[in-house]
Amino acid sequence: MGTVALALKDLWPCFEGIIPATIATCAKDGTPNISYVSQVHYVDPEHVAISFQFFNKTRKNIAEHPFASVMVLDPRAMQAYRLSLRYERSESSGPLFQAMSLQLQAIASHAGMSDVFRLRAADIYAVRRIERVEGFTSWPVPAQDERLPSLFIDPNLHALRVVAEQLNRTECLGELLETALRCLDEFFGLRHTMLLLVDEKRRTLQTIASRGYDENGVGSEVGFGDGLIGMVATAKLPLRLSGLDHTLRYARAVRNRAEALSGSETLCREIPLPGLSNASTQIAVPLMIRHRCLGVLVAESLEPLTLLIREEAVMAIVAGHLASGIDQSAQEADDPVAVEASITASPPVHSAVTQRSFCFYHADDCIFVDGEYLIKNVPGRILWRILKQHQDEQRVEFTNRELRMDSWLGLPEWKDNFETRLILLRKRLEQKCPDVRLVPRGRGRFALDTSVNIILSEKPA
Amino acid sequence: MIPATIVDLLHTGVSVNVGTRDADLMPECTRGWGIWVGADRTAVTLLLTESASAQTLDNLRNNGLIAITCSRPTDHVTCQLKGTVTRIRPATPQDYVQQQAWRRAFLGELIAVGVPAEQTDAIIMQPAVAIEMQVTGVFAQTPGPGAGEQV
Repeated sequence: MGTVALALKDLWPCFEGIIPATIATCAKDGTPNISYVSQVHYVDPEHVAISFQFFNKTRKNIAEHPFASVMVLDPRAMQAYRLSLRYERSESSGPLFQAMSLQLQAIASHAGMSDVFRLRAADIYAVRRIERVEGFTSWPVPAQDERLPSLFIDPNLHALRVVAEQLNRTECLGELLETALRCLDEFFGLRHTMLLLVDEKRRTLQTIASRGYDENGVGSEVGFGDGLIGMVATAKLPLRLSGLDHTLRYARAVRNRAEALSGSETLCREIPLPGLSNASTQIAVPLMIRHRCLGVLVAESLEPLTLLIREEAVMAIVAGHLASGIDQSAQEADDPVAVEASITASPPVHSAVTQRSFCFYHADDCIFVDGEYLIKNVPGRILWRILKQHQDEQRVEFTNRELRMDSWLGLPEWKDNFETRLILLRKRLEQKCPDVRLVPRGRGRFALDTSVNIILSEKPA
Repeated sequence: MIPATIVDLLHTGVSVNVGTRDADLMPECTRGWGIWVGADRTAVTLLLTESASAQTLDNLRNNGLIAITCSRPTDHVTCQLKGTVTRIRPATPQDYVQQQAWRRAFLGELIAVGVPAEQTDAIIMQPAVAIEMQVTGVFAQTPGPGAGEQV
């Protein structure tokens, strides 16, 4: 009888349910029992799961004496293995239970027995010993697969699946963007990322989300063709730069350019692009949909050789999800749809400030708050419209639809992504005057929420 | 006495799965290669190989308690026999004649459910040890809600 050094994963063909397994148990009075189980499921390197459908003798024995001996067969060569198990726990919810339950239901429904077959629990057993049963077959033991066995998915592929599921679960565009950057960080170690969206009319890209920087830089802009990001938007191809020289560092380049071209007056209306001043590698990938570039996803790293083709591939896939989500949100009807408040609303801010002075510059649709630049262009006008209506008509609730139809805002008539403008506005407010908030009230609807006195003034063109 | 339906089932090329336990009640499972019912229908004989079933044979020599689940692969009709081993001995030529009849039926069942013939032919069934078992309980074990009921 042979054994030793067999890992559970080496037995992967045994866990596909091709040949039923048997399970021997023992009652407290010493009477042995043996029965079939349709499938032993791999859980992790030290655990397997067995379906619990009926209150049978095996279940009763396990409750009295939690040990089992299971024989599984490798269908490639009828090679038998014996697992010595100890019952640990039962799961009646969670991903493993759901997967096993669905499989059972599918089989039951196929046999017209949906009411009879029902998974009560996934019983989890610790594997104490694995033994290859020698002298079972004269066939040689199948050679180890060079590929990863089918049970053990490449961790990157698994992570991508989880990320895709998380992205598809998001309820609104703002949540989608935040989730994408969070997932790139948590699952793929991309600590410093930013997302810029294309403004076709102004031929610029504007930062709408970032992660891993001291300043979030939301609202900062990059021209088409400028630097790595602008190049990627124009070329519509991903780009990876390693060993970045100081002169290539994008954030500074943009800022220097703004300074050189327009002097400090313009500069005060520029938000610095987020960026690591000493990044050694950058990747930028376009958000493509039907040959249109909707934006650029950027990652940076201080460490050389950390952003490579793997990271580029992951970013390209996530960028595809983002492009679909953004495109869909642009096409969604403005009809207000209720979304659970907990998903969208952040907690109210308690501020020591009692008033906020907003000044609107008609010359460039720019708003300053307490003397500091806040926002300009379309989001600037949207905010001004909201603040004016709040002051003149005491309005609190607004809908995307009414604003979209407001000709003064100068929104493009076709497929304008109004939601992205609101996200930008919301984030700038969070950063510059957190006591004035635009709180989502479901899809296509939001409220102005403020704990301070709002004072408005205007500077004509 | 083993009911006639179960006797019939046991003679149709069923799989033979054996459960035993040691002095600490630790269970052990193995496969048997052949089963037939004695003339008085209170005892069965089954064959095991020493190499694949050493712990099982140890357990049987020590306490004699045994459970056997037999299942017909093509329709999953299954029963479990419980009892006590009365004798363990090397298989005789007469046992191998019995095993040959069972083997033909069993391999036919396996091939019918899609196991390649060259795999079934490779199963090692000899040399065997014969286990004589006095049956004390017979249970229906066909998968489903009625499983576990005494026949």
